[in-house]
Amino acid sequence: MLPPRYTFLAWFNLTHEPRRLVTALAGVAFAVLLMFIFLGFKNALYDSQIQLIKILNADIVIINSIKDNMFVPEQFALRRLYQARAFAGVESAYPLYTNTADWKNPVTKEIRPLRVLAFNPHDPVLLVPGVLENVEALQLPWTALIDQQARPEVGPITVGMTTELMEQQVQVVGTFSLGTDFAAGNGNVIMSDQNFLRYFARLGPEEDSRTLNTVDVGLIKVTPGTDVVTLVNTLREQLPKDVRVLTKAEFAQQELTYWQENTNIGFVFGLLTSMSFVVGIILVYQILYTDVADHWAEYATLKAMGYSRLHLLGVVIQEAVILAILGFIPGTIVSLGLYELASDTTGLLMQMTPERSFNIFLITLVMCLISGTIAVRKVLTADPAEVFG
Amino acid sequence: MSGVTLVDDLRDDLMGERTSKATATIVVDAHVVKIRNLNHYFGHGDLAKQVLYDINLDLPKGQIVIMTGPSGSGKTTLLSLIGGLRTAQAGSLQVMTQELVGLNKSQLVNIRRNIGFIFQMHNLFESLTASQNVEMAVELFSNWRDKRLKAVEVLTQVGLADRIDYKPKNLSGGQKQRVAIARALVNQPTLILADEPTAALDKKSGRDVVMLMQRLAKEEGRTILMVTHDNRILDVADRIINLIDGRLESDETLDHFVATHDPKSLDRRMFMM
Repeated sequence: MLPPRYTFLAWFNLTHEPRRLVTALAGVAFAVLLMFIFLGFKNALYDSQIQLIKILNADIVIINSIKDNMFVPEQFALRRLYQARAFAGVESAYPLYTNTADWKNPVTKEIRPLRVLAFNPHDPVLLVPGVLENVEALQLPWTALIDQQARPEVGPITVGMTTELMEQQVQVVGTFSLGTDFAAGNGNVIMSDQNFLRYFARLGPEEDSRTLNTVDVGLIKVTPGTDVVTLVNTLREQLPKDVRVLTKAEFAQQELTYWQENTNIGFVFGLLTSMSFVVGIILVYQILYTDVADHWAEYATLKAMGYSRLHLLGVVIQEAVILAILGFIPGTIVSLGLYELASDTTGLLMQMTPERSFNIFLITLVMCLISGTIAVRKVLTADPAEVFG
Repeated sequence: MSGVTLVDDLRDDLMGERTSKATATIVVDAHVVKIRNLNHYFGHGDLAKQVLYDINLDLPKGQIVIMTGPSGSGKTTLLSLIGGLRTAQAGSLQVMTQELVGLNKSQLVNIRRNIGFIFQMHNLFESLTASQNVEMAVELFSNWRDKRLKAVEVLTQVGLADRIDYKPKNLSGGQKQRVAIARALVNQPTLILADEPTAALDKKSGRDVVMLMQRLAKEEGRTILMVTHDNRILDVADRIINLIDGRLESDETLDHFVATHDPKSLDRRMFMM
C-alpha cells in the first residue's frame, strides 16, 4: 500500500497490535462468512430449482396448463407437439418424459426415489457432457445414466454396475452432472424413451402407467431469425387451452416464482442474513470502540492541538473501511471452501457469482460504516479540556 | 451531546476548515495573552458555580510564567480557557490579539492550532513513531513536503536525534515527554501551555524537561504558562502567579517570590544553578 501524504493514523492504530487486528479481522470475516452461507443457501435453493430448466435445449416450452411447477405430475397430449411443428418458425419439437423411480442402493439395498428424465436419445434434449457421449449406450435396453451429484445415499456410482430401478434390473452406462432440487430430492436418472416404457408402461393397478403419448415437458427449437415472443403468442392463440406455452426464460421464472411464493426460504434466510449483519455490526463496533476508548486521551490531545472532529471522524471511518476490506477477503475464501463442501454434501447448486460477492462486500462495508458511526461518537464527544488536569 | 448539536458542530467544522488558512497568520502583540475581568461559571441557572472571579492578567512575549495554587483553585480552568479548550463566557480574553469570548467551537479549533499544548501525560500514539507523532502536528498546516524534516529538526533540538524512529514503548518517561514537547513546539507557537508537565516524571527527567522548555523559550522568544505543584522547578520562572479559590492572589517575580516565601519549603540547592 502506498503511504498517503498524511500520517495514516487509522492504519497504524489498527496494525499496532497484530493480535488485536487478527481478532478484529476474524470477527469481520465471521460475519461475512455467515452472510455468505445464508445467502448462499437461499440462492442455492432457488438456483437448484431451475438448473434442469437452464440446460434444456429449447427456446419454447409446452406444458400442461395446470403444471405450475416441476413437482406437478401432469402431462399433455403428444399431438400438441405435432401440431406445434406445423407452425412457421418451429424447427423441431420433441418430448421430455419425467417420472419418479425407486432406485436401490447397490450396497445397502435401501430404496431411494430418483427423478427419471427420459427422451429419445436422438433428440437434442440435453446437450451436456455425459449425455452426448452415451447416446449409443442409452439405446440398449435396461440402461440408464446416473447423476454424479446425487445424494450419497444413492450409493457408490461406477459405470457398468448393475442395480435395480422400479424393482427391475438397470445397468449404469454413464454419468452426468445435474444436482438435486425439491422435485428431485435425491438426484436424477437419464434414460431413453424406450427404456422409460420398459420401466413405467406396465405398473400395478394402483399406479398410473405411462405411455409415450403423454408428455411432461415439450421442447421447441425455433429456426434461426425467428422472433420467439411472437411465435409464443401465436402458439398460445392457436393451440388448445389445455397446454401452456412459455419461453424458456418464462418457464424458469414460473418455477422460481412458485418456490418463492410457496416456501419460507426467502424469509428464513433473509432473517438469518439480517441477524448476521447485526452480529457483524456489534462485533465491529466492539473493536472500533475499544480502539477509540483506549486512545481517548490521544484523540482528545489531537483535538486540543487543533484537529477538527471531521478529521477524527475520518480516522475512525478509515479504520472501519480497512476492517471491511481486510475482513472480507478471508471471509470470502473460507466461504468458497464451505460452498464447495455444502455443494458436495447436499447436491445443491452453491454459486458465488461476482455480482453476489460484490453485493456482500457492499453489505460488509455498510456494516462496518454503521459500527464506525456509532463508535465515533465517543471521539466526537471527547472534551479536550478534560485532558488538562 | 444531542444529534442536532453534533450536526451543527460538524457543519461548523466544515466552515472552519475553509477559514483556517486566514487565521493562520496572526499579528504578534507585545502581550501574547491579555485578560480583563474574566469570570467563569460551571453549570447553568441556579446551579451555576463561579470558578473564576475577575481575573486580570497580561503575559508578555518571551516570559515564562508559573501558575501555582491549591487544587480546585481554578488553575486548570484558566489554562483551558486561554488555550481555547473551553468557551470563555464573560469578560475579555485575548490570545495573540484574538478575542476568545464569544467564539464558537470551530473558531476555537483554529485558535488552538497556534498554541502548543503539553500535558501531564505525554498522550503520544503508541502506534506511531516519535517522528510520526510530531509530524501529525505539522500536518495541521497542510505542510506535507517538509513535515519529516521539521520533525527531525525539532526532535534533535530536544535531544532525541538518535530516537527519531522509536515508538513510545521504547522510550523512557522523560524521553516521551520530550517528544510531547517537540510536538508542541514544532509549529513554533508563540504561546505554550503546560499542565504539570513533570508530574509523571522522576526528579532528574522532570528537571531536564523543564530546563529544555526554558532554553527553547528563551532562544526563540516563546511565552510559556505552566501549571505546576512541583517546587523543584519553580526557579525556571520569570514570574509566579498564585490562584486561590478562583482569584488571582499574588503575581510576583521569582526573586520576590523566593524572598517572601519560607525558604525551608523550597529546595535551596536548586537556586544555585
